[in-house]
Amino acid sequence: MTPREEISEPTIDELASTLAEIDADGALQETAEAAFGGTRAAFLQRSLAAAAAAAGGLFAANSADAADVATTKNDIAMLRFDLVLEYLQAGFYTEAERLGALTPKTLGWARVVGAHERAHVVALKRLLGRKTVPSPTFNYGSVTTREQAFIRTAVGFEDLTAALLKWQAPRLDSRSVVAAAITLHSVETRHAAWIRHLIGLQPAARAFDKPASQARMARLIASTNFVSAQPQLAGRSRPRLTG
Amino acid sequence: MRRRKAVAVAFVTATLLTGIVVIQAIRGKAATSERAARAPIADAFAGLPRPPRPAFTVGRPALLDRRESRARFAPVLRRVDARTEPNAEAPPVATVTERTEEGTTNILLVLSEARRQGAAWVHVRLPVLPNNRTGWVPRSALGGYRFVDTHLTVDLNRFTVTLLRDGRPVFRASVGIGRSAWPTPKGDFYIRNRLSGFGDPFYGPIAFGTSARSAVLTDWPGGGFVGIHGTNEPELIPGRISHGCIRLRNDDIVRLARLMPVGTPLTIR
Repeated sequence: MTPREEISEPTIDELASTLAEIDADGALQETAEAAFGGTRAAFLQRSLAAAAAAAGGLFAANSADAADVATTKNDIAMLRFDLVLEYLQAGFYTEAERLGALTPKTLGWARVVGAHERAHVVALKRLLGRKTVPSPTFNYGSVTTREQAFIRTAVGFEDLTAALLKWQAPRLDSRSVVAAAITLHSVETRHAAWIRHLIGLQPAARAFDKPASQARMARLIASTNFVSAQPQLAGRSRPRLTG
Repeated sequence: MRRRKAVAVAFVTATLLTGIVVIQAIRGKAATSERAARAPIADAFAGLPRPPRPAFTVGRPALLDRRESRARFAPVLRRVDARTEPNAEAPPVATVTERTEEGTTNILLVLSEARRQGAAWVHVRLPVLPNNRTGWVPRSALGGYRFVDTHLTVDLNRFTVTLLRDGRPVFRASVGIGRSAWPTPKGDFYIRNRLSGFGDPFYGPIAFGTSARSAVLTDWPGGGFVGIHGTNEPELIPGRISHGCIRLRNDDIVRLARLMPVGTPLTIR
């Protein structure tokens, strides 16, 4: 994974406010502690990597947040995590296609995969219903316009998304959610093999694939610095316009 | 001769009948053994749990429309000099800050990108005088891109404002524009922020800040930015009535606000 270059990192305050907003009832604490150990307060004071990694916790469910279809707290937490990951990828590939700075071959890949990831977003949002999470704000910097950086990031996203779904599958409570999740898993592995093939990497490098945990995926997301503060585009100040 | 023929016919008929009987017998036996073989398999399946119905299915993926037209903008992350070229040594055009005069995040409309000596630069439209000025800023000084599919046009001769979405008009209204002493500037601009709840009837319920600036009222508080807002004098619309701002009737500005996101490009002609 190539960290985004030249972009200042979000401050701990920005992350903390985002986490506090999402984690109204302290569900984040549980995820954070599970992933990193320690108290919530200590967690929020940790390094940026730890804090942003726990942004994975923004997908953590709470008892009042039982989704309409998936009924367990555990499943909702994982589905929310998946949804934000899909937001991240859909935004990444969509921006690359819109900016159009990559080679035609890579853009062709991004065009198809972007459409898939957007469809995944729609499906997960529909499943979560009222319990969905809004998309964070992303700043991909110049990665969506630089061929090599884009490809390396895409390989990382696709490989690790497939690994994450492998990690989640045996941990899901609902068999119907497992049945749905594996339909995503196979598509993500195809994406991974496809992008690897495009750049001359082994599409299937190993005989067995290892799973990757949510905590690891959250750390990966944090390492990119792609999650950024929400700009304030509206206000209530008296206009200072000529009138 | 006739007898031989009859014997031959009888022989053939008997052979055929025998063959049919044998074939039927074989078929029957095969079917019986197939049923017998299938039974344990069916029993085994009967013992399996029913497969769960997937909790969700993914719908048909929608490719982006290749003809789509999207403008993009980005927030200013740090105070930075915009330059005439994508080069740190190029002369500065203007300094842009992180906040607008109303305290919202300052944004810049992005026109293109370039790489020079390994660094990413962005060509942006600037909210400075003279109007229509552009410059280059480092990509690192800006936040994530946002895309809009809208474009607002103001026709000063016809006193109208039109909002286009994907090139098609979705809103049109009459406007009041600047008096001849304080003309509304012409050119290409963008919507910088949206203000509401400020409690000043002069501006109506909602005001949009733009990157356009009055070339005359340069000492106006805030720098003489031109806005698009409501009014407490709707009877004056359409007409040349303002200090340069574009005034709409209050119900029109409310309607426009439902359709137009911040970052929308603005053309005044």
